[in-house]
Formats: sequence, structure tokens, C-alpha cells
Amino acid sequence: MYRWEKLGRVFDPQDVAGRSWLKEFAQAPATLVLGDRVRVYFSCRPPAGADGQYVSRSAWVDLDRRNLARILDVAEQPILPLGDTGTFDEFGTYPVSVMPDGDRLVACYAGWTRCASVPFNTAIGLAYSDDGGRTFAKAGPGPVLGYSPDEPFVLSGPKLRRWDGVWHLFYIAGRRWILDQGRPEPVYRIRHATSGDGVRWNKSGRDLIRARLGDDEAQASPDVFRGRRGFHMFLCYRHGTDYRNQARGYRIGYAFSADLVHWERDDARAGLDVSAEGWDSEMVSYPHVFELDGSVYMLYLGNQVGRWGFGLARLDGTLD
Amino acid sequence: MNWKKLGRIFDPARHALPGGCTGFAQSPQALAFDDFVRVWFSTREREPGGMYVSHVAWADFDKDFGRVLRVAPRTALPRGALGCFDEHGIFPLSPLRHDGRLLAYTTGWSRRIAVSVETGIGLVESHDGGATFERFGDGPVLSASLHEPCLVGDGFVRVHEGVFHMWYIFGTGWRRHAPDAAPDRTYKIGHATSTDGVAWEKEEARQIVADRLGPDESQALPSVLRIGSRWHMVFCYRQSFDFRGNRERGYRLGHAWSDDLAHWVRDDEALGLDVSADGWDSEMQCYPHLFEWDGRVGLLYNGNAFGRDGFGLAVLA
Repeated sequence: MYRWEKLGRVFDPQDVAGRSWLKEFAQAPATLVLGDRVRVYFSCRPPAGADGQYVSRSAWVDLDRRNLARILDVAEQPILPLGDTGTFDEFGTYPVSVMPDGDRLVACYAGWTRCASVPFNTAIGLAYSDDGGRTFAKAGPGPVLGYSPDEPFVLSGPKLRRWDGVWHLFYIAGRRWILDQGRPEPVYRIRHATSGDGVRWNKSGRDLIRARLGDDEAQASPDVFRGRRGFHMFLCYRHGTDYRNQARGYRIGYAFSADLVHWERDDARAGLDVSAEGWDSEMVSYPHVFELDGSVYMLYLGNQVGRWGFGLARLDGTLD
Repeated sequence: MNWKKLGRIFDPARHALPGGCTGFAQSPQALAFDDFVRVWFSTREREPGGMYVSHVAWADFDKDFGRVLRVAPRTALPRGALGCFDEHGIFPLSPLRHDGRLLAYTTGWSRRIAVSVETGIGLVESHDGGATFERFGDGPVLSASLHEPCLVGDGFVRVHEGVFHMWYIFGTGWRRHAPDAAPDRTYKIGHATSTDGVAWEKEEARQIVADRLGPDESQALPSVLRIGSRWHMVFCYRQSFDFRGNRERGYRLGHAWSDDLAHWVRDDEALGLDVSADGWDSEMQCYPHLFEWDGRVGLLYNGNAFGRDGFGLAVLA
């Protein structure tokens, strides 16, 4: 089992002033290590609209590289505009994953639209930054990864990676909507696609991680870290219904692969669980693992899937 | 082209329709069998809330299209599952015989909040000669992509020299044409190819047929047939707003030709088939389908009110 030392919450969106669009939630953290700072991209929400619905935006917070508890800067504006009427990202851009590509940065993000019979649908978009990751421009008005016969809806949670010249996208795809006391809830599983240019993607067409909680398990945040021996995936998972509570809510799982094809799930090794009390006592979710100056860290969400921000943990040892 | 109008050949009010459907027989698409021609079309069920769901049915005609032999006893496929692209209707269904199989490309409709609908193209297969179809999967084979942001639909597929060609439409966007109007959509005809009919390469927002009405022209329902050495495409087009009740802005039939399947020359006049002075196709003509049977060339199409009152046929003289 990996041993993580919890360093506590490093960012609470409720502490940020002067940004009406950054009122609640800081979800799905993903890092970009810059010179003197670690930029953490996350997604947030303005207060709910008159219809009770939220719009998701994405932003960043810069943490001091020498002291990750110290905040240096917060984005003045959302990094991505919302889409035009009737397009896939009209009602949200969440979450975002960023990777360098020469002089520019490439981002994949999930775009949100609203549906009549289910609350939403999502597909994955592509954007570029030419100002060092402060803002991004969309590669096009539509999604770069859309629906297909065996991935009919809810393509989300992109994690963009590049190894040995090949782009990899780990993401989730909806399997079916189930009705929980009349309320539609999506079941989704972890998928994988590869690309030579980041634009044209080949889906591998299968679930990477076997379900542990039965057919209705939902899996999210497939965060893959490349070690010396192979690939470590930290993910989160929950029950399909009645999951907005301590017992059935999100937990952090783990899987290992030597070849990016075969994945061995072993949640017992994940090593980061809910605390007895405090901001992460009910659930832990949306892990993101990164290396900085010889240490491996994990950012993760606590109660109410990031309503109160994200926290940091440091690994005792290495991820080989 | 010299067409002989045979008039309306199917009036949905005169037949019992499956699936609780009443009225509408839209986007007729045909395949010839030994003793009859089957025409699939979309008809509508009215939900308790007053909204429509399109279902696919069919009617069999004798080879002279003088008689309806039978009408589908049940819909050709169930509506899509909760949250799927074809949950709120299938319109149209476009059949294709290939390699001993009977495939069809569907356009699935699902309702949205900010706009009325989104669509995608699905693939289905029949194992009972076209009475019913089974889905290839819950999701579409073609849908919105980087430069085709919405409303991918109306897939029509033919195999030529081992390559699957699909002509279809993609949305260029939604726009309010008046401050108090609901958003209206604009779409154009595109082209994609495939080696297996499942995985498609789009040309990604290349509009293959020139506009006649300018950028606000919406183009729909391309169907393509090789007549002699030349490929002909018949489609329909209209203004993007105020097109439902305004005869001058509603659907008309358009035409283009190609000798290489890459470049298309628009030439509506060459089609030579316009609205009638009065009767069922006097206000609009839409949802055309070019097809061949027993060495003859036919054109099925809808008339007034988007096919509420059925479809007609013209035969190439």
C-alpha cells in the first residue's frame, strides 16, 4: 500500500474574492509545473441560475513551488469561453487537462450541454494556449472526441498525456443512465484513446478497469503517472445510486499496467482514504498525481466533490 | 431530366399505422424486392405532453406503385434508450444492401434545453428482410466533431469501388433571426468515406454543394444515384427561418451532378421538377430519395407541410 502524508487543504474557492464566476467548487485539479510555481487547473461554478442549474468554468491557481501551501496568483478570468447556442460546451467546460507541446500548451476539456430527458451530456473538446497557459482558444466549435456506437454519451474527465511521441487520452464514457427514484444517474467507465497529432484519435474501444462494485459502478478521474516499471493509475469510483453520502460516495482506487493495455486493479494499494473528520471525511475523489523536485504528490477533492476545494498529500517513497 | 409526376402514392390518413402513430409519412426511402418495392418512412406518435416522437414504418408497393400491398404491422425499431442520441425519434431511415446484408443508416433525435434538438447518425441491420432492424450500438457512427459542431444527420450511403461513401448534413450553428424568435438551425451537405461502413472519415465541414440562397440556405436529405456515367444528387433546401408557413421560403428540390464524386456542380434547373400549381405538393417539396428499380429511376419526395399528408413519386422518362 502506498503511504500518503496528508498535507491538508491547499485551496478553498470560498476564500477567493472579486470573481463572481469563481464562487463555489474547485474540482478536478490538474497541474502544470512552471519555473517558480505549480499551476493547478481546476473547475468552478458561479452561483446556480434561476433554474437551479450550474454552469461550470475552468481556471487556475498558482502555488509556490517551494511551498505548495502558498498561493501566488489566481486566474482573473475563466480560461475558456462557453460555446455558442446549441454546441456541445454551451453550459460548461469542466474538467481540463493540460500538456506542453513545444511552444504551446494543449488542453483537452469536457464540454457540457443540457438535455431534456437527462440533465446533461458531455463530449471532449480541444484547445490551445499561446500565453503560457493563462488562457486557451478552442481548436474548433465542436468536440474532438465524440460519441460512437459503444460510447453513446457522457464522454468526460479527460487526462491528456504524451509518452514517446504518442498522445494518450484517458477519459470516461457513459454506459447507461439509470433511474434512482426517478432521477437519472449516469454510469460511466474508464476508456483510452491514442493519437499522433492530438486531433485525430483512435479509441481503444474497451473498458480499462474492471468494476468492483458491480454493474452500476461509476469510475472517474483516470489519472495516469508513468514510473520506471510501468504506469500507475489513480482513479475514483462510486456506487451507481444514492452516492451523495459517506457510505456510497467516491473513494480513490488504483490500477497498474506495464503496457497501457492490460490494467490490474488493486484498490488496496491506493493508500488514500477519507479522514475521520474535517473537509475530506465523507468522500475523497478526483485524484491527480504529479512529481515535483523529487517528491510525488497527489491533489484530490474532499466532501461534496470539491465544494470546499482540494487538498494535497505527499507520497512516502516513489512510484516506480 | 424529364420526370413524369405520378402524384401522391401514399396518404397516411388512409392506412393503419403502427406504434400509435397518426399522420405524417416523411422521408420515404426505397429498396426493390422480387415482387414489391418497400418504402420506409417516418411517422409520428404524439406524446401526452403534445410533443412528437418519430418512428420508422414501411409500406410495400406493387412494382408500378399503383397499389399498397401492406403496411408495417409494427415499427421497424424501438426508440433509443434514456439519454441516447435517438431517444426522441428516428427520422429518417436510409436502407443499403451490401454484401448480402441489409443495413440502414438512421438519424436519431434527442431533445435539448437551449435549442430544440441534437441529432446523430446511427447504424442498424435487419435480419428479417427489412421488417425490423437491430442497432449496431447505443451510440451513433457519425455525430458532431471539431468543425461540425451540431446536427449531423440524413446519412445516405452507397458503396463504389470498395469504398463506402456517405452524403449527410452537418449544422453550422443555431441563430436567432429575430429577437423574440427561438433559435433556428442552418445545415449543409457534407461527405465522408469508410472502408467498413462503421468507422468514417469526414471531410470535416467541407460544404460540397454550393448555396443558391446564400449562407442562410439550409440543405437536407441528399440522395445520390449514378445515371449513365454521371452521378446525380437530389436534395432539398430552404431559407433558415420563416420557412414553415411561407411558401416562398419553404423547401424546394435541389440538384447537383458530379463525374468524380469529389466535385459537385449545382444545377437545380436541370432537375426540372417544381412545385405543382395546386394540390399536395403545391407549397413545398422536400425529403427526396433517388432510387432505381427494375431498370427504372424514381424520385420519392414529400409535399406540403413536410410530409404530413404523405409522399409522392416521379419517374424518369
